[in-house]
Amino acid sequence: MTLFWILAVILIASAVFTVTQRSPVYSVVGLLTNFLALAALYLTLNAEFLAIIQVVVYSGAILMLFVFVIALLSSGVGPFREGPDRLPRVLLPALAASLAGLGFLVYAVARVPLGPLPAHRPTSTLGQAGAADVFGSVSDFGVALFTTHLLPFEITALVLMVAVVGVILIAGDAAPLPTRGRHRKAAREREPIVKAGR
Amino acid sequence: MSGVPAFAAAAAAPLLAVWLLPLIGAVALWALGPALKRTAGVLGSLTVLAAFGIAAALFPAATQNGGVHVPLVTWIPGYAFGLWLDPLSLIWTLIITGVGGLIHVYSIGYMWNDRAIARFFAYLNFFVFSMLTLVLSDNVVGLLVGWGLVGLASYFLIGFWFQRPSAVAAARKAFVINVFGDIGIMFAVFAIYQQTGSIAFADVFAKAPSLAPGIVFAICLGLFIGAAAKSAQVPLHTWLPDAMEGPTPVSALIHAATMVTAGVYLVARFAPLWNASPSAQTLVAVVGAITALTGALLGIAQWDIKRILAYSTMSQIGYMILGVGVGAYQAGVLHFFTHAFFKAQLFLGAGLIIHALHDEQDVRKMGGLSRRLPFAFWAMLLGTLAIMGFPGFSGYFSKDAVIEGALLHGHPVLAAVAALTAGITAYYMFRMIFLTFFGPYRGDVDEFSLGMPLRVHAAAHEPDQEHGGHAPDWIMQLPVAILMVPTVLAGWLSFGTESPWSRFFGGLFGAGEPAAPFPEWITTSGVLLLVALGLVVAYLRYGSPGAQAAAIDRLRAESRGMPQILVRGFYFDDLIEFAAVKPAAWLGEIFSRYVDPHVIDGAVRDVVWLAGALGYVMRALQNGLVRAYALTIVVGTACFLAYFAFIGAVK
Amino acid sequence: MSVDVSNYVVLAAVMFFIGVAGVLLRRNPLIVLMSIELMFNAANLALVAFSRVWVNNAGHIFVFLVVTVAAAEAAIGLAIVVALFRRAKNVDVDEVAELRG
Repeated sequence: MTLFWILAVILIASAVFTVTQRSPVYSVVGLLTNFLALAALYLTLNAEFLAIIQVVVYSGAILMLFVFVIALLSSGVGPFREGPDRLPRVLLPALAASLAGLGFLVYAVARVPLGPLPAHRPTSTLGQAGAADVFGSVSDFGVALFTTHLLPFEITALVLMVAVVGVILIAGDAAPLPTRGRHRKAAREREPIVKAGR
Repeated sequence: MSGVPAFAAAAAAPLLAVWLLPLIGAVALWALGPALKRTAGVLGSLTVLAAFGIAAALFPAATQNGGVHVPLVTWIPGYAFGLWLDPLSLIWTLIITGVGGLIHVYSIGYMWNDRAIARFFAYLNFFVFSMLTLVLSDNVVGLLVGWGLVGLASYFLIGFWFQRPSAVAAARKAFVINVFGDIGIMFAVFAIYQQTGSIAFADVFAKAPSLAPGIVFAICLGLFIGAAAKSAQVPLHTWLPDAMEGPTPVSALIHAATMVTAGVYLVARFAPLWNASPSAQTLVAVVGAITALTGALLGIAQWDIKRILAYSTMSQIGYMILGVGVGAYQAGVLHFFTHAFFKAQLFLGAGLIIHALHDEQDVRKMGGLSRRLPFAFWAMLLGTLAIMGFPGFSGYFSKDAVIEGALLHGHPVLAAVAALTAGITAYYMFRMIFLTFFGPYRGDVDEFSLGMPLRVHAAAHEPDQEHGGHAPDWIMQLPVAILMVPTVLAGWLSFGTESPWSRFFGGLFGAGEPAAPFPEWITTSGVLLLVALGLVVAYLRYGSPGAQAAAIDRLRAESRGMPQILVRGFYFDDLIEFAAVKPAAWLGEIFSRYVDPHVIDGAVRDVVWLAGALGYVMRALQNGLVRAYALTIVVGTACFLAYFAFIGAVK
Repeated sequence: MSVDVSNYVVLAAVMFFIGVAGVLLRRNPLIVLMSIELMFNAANLALVAFSRVWVNNAGHIFVFLVVTVAAAEAAIGLAIVVALFRRAKNVDVDEVAELRG
């Protein structure tokens, strides 16, 4: 019980920290804390496999991606420069809309009596870890993923491949210029888009 | 009254020919007219005269077995259109085509030099067709169609010389007043169909006795409003004097002999309905008597020869309406019959005078024409003797019949009014004769000495004339000469108790005439006394040698001293101007000055402004900023969540 | 479980709207992307909580798919940020307003 509240406080605090920091590196650290707290919360909900996935994939891969991009963007430039604020006076409406949405959502949830929690399969103990009938275990998750939900899994693979291709196209190097003929001249005239400047 | 008889094969085609020949003529003349020039007149006259011949040949068929019935189209049950030639419609058909044909021939001469002569004959033929549609229909809707077409033809013909603003205004006035009457008759037709479920006369008359009295009165009232407008009864009479702007043959045909008698036909045709509503009959009779008297009184004050005749027409139609109103249908129709002849003759004779004097119409500028135009003099004299009821002439019989009928059906006051009107008629008609034909010729006396208003000769408004010779005299004189015969003799058809006239109609109008409480000669002599009185007064004022010698001074004095109430036509024109024209003009002014620019145009402008304003607002939303778009999404999501929080399905 | 499941859901909601506020109020695109990650995780938390209530694996599977898609989306988003950085040396969300109406 107390565990929940401690983790909840850490979760919210780190989330606020993430959103409000000036420097993106600090925000990354805050996000990391948030993810770890979240993994702990998953564990309290008997979702062991997901807790590990959260740490490994989210904190381990995605956050590292953020760190690398920060590094790329700040190389030799100094602190990030930002242009003029083109949407002043947005604080109040934004906060109002967010709080309103939050209020309505909480109210909607509170209206629903969820009833008593059903009996669950026994949680894994050291002796029964990994058994397939244990809710939230790896075996349980694996069986479901590769039998009942095989199609979404395969489509996910497709999504990832599309993402990789997209990243290469968007952020990759510009195509090499043609070396001769009229295409070369035209390509040279198109160049300024690739080179920096505005 | 017998119903509509079965189809008589032998007479069907001729009846259709009678009806359609004028239409064919009208269409042909409209299409080919400009190429035909003067032969258009011959063609137009031939169609109408042929129709007359065929109608005359149908005389035996029309008077037997209830007449000739030709069903044409049955649209839905209860909506059957057809033609019906019975004694009543036969009389009207013969007058329309006969007198109409003579007037067509006359017009060949009268319109000899007019550039639009073909258009004139096309319109005249169209008018004959419309009038025949009106009288030959066997159903109320066909009658209504003819009614409307006749009004249209009248508009065409009054405004024939459309280069004249006064003619255009007169045509418009006639049409608007007629439309006002059309509203009445339309509602009556609606009520008839609703009450009886059919439009055919036979069905309507069969159901007439079973209708509620209030309904019958309402129907009769609607019909009479239409009849009053078409037949120029008070207070819808103001268009008739102005209608004299049309060429004289038009005045003769439409505004004397036929169109204005459509109201009389209406009352006579719907006799079963009228017999079922005594209050409606009283209304009709009273209006007729008032109109007769008013027309006569106003005729005293006129100086234009055609306007004198116009007011006399109005007065005589009042007689006819009085006759059919009291229930003396045969008397009313007899007066229509005789009036058609002598009024046509009077108008055509006036046309001869106008033509000879090169479009001079004011009586004050005439005089002594009995020596210069002897033929016209005899024509007008015979017509005048007929109209005032000189014993033996046609008008004498018909007027007496109307007055007798009023007495016999229990309207002594109206009979007295009619008798008084006869006297006044004699006075003003002979005033016209004396001023026109006797004494020295005043054509070269200046207008001021005669008390006339100053004239403005606007050459631009004169009718479009060519100058290519003159019409031979006999073209215009022949129809007038032919008309002299029935003018004098037609009345004798009703002489005697078992006259050809009463046998002709048989039991068409219901029960016969009630018996006379006192011998006929008492009323006749009373009327003759009044007529003689009128004649004497006219002679003393205008015809005596002393009066003729002092004619110029007397005319000047009379012109200046004419009572204003008579000159202004009992202020009817002013009343209509005040009650109808001014409010309409005021309404139009409001609409054009305020409603149109501010409300209607304003609404359009406001829609445009709204589109612009909305666009301006929407443009602020499209600022390209991601954060703004995100805010919009969040606000929308909050609303969505609100729905689910408070209303949405939760269970 | 002594803690009511509604607590988890409310917690997820709060975290979600913190992420929303971050998206609306920050101009650095990296921070915006991190706020979006917060929102994803909030949804994941709710999914896991409800999956615990109904003792059903499908929630876990769905969370797995969400994680995957979030990863793909973060990658693409960062690629776009890099491409923008190359064009104009400041990174500000407000500057990419080319589709102005």
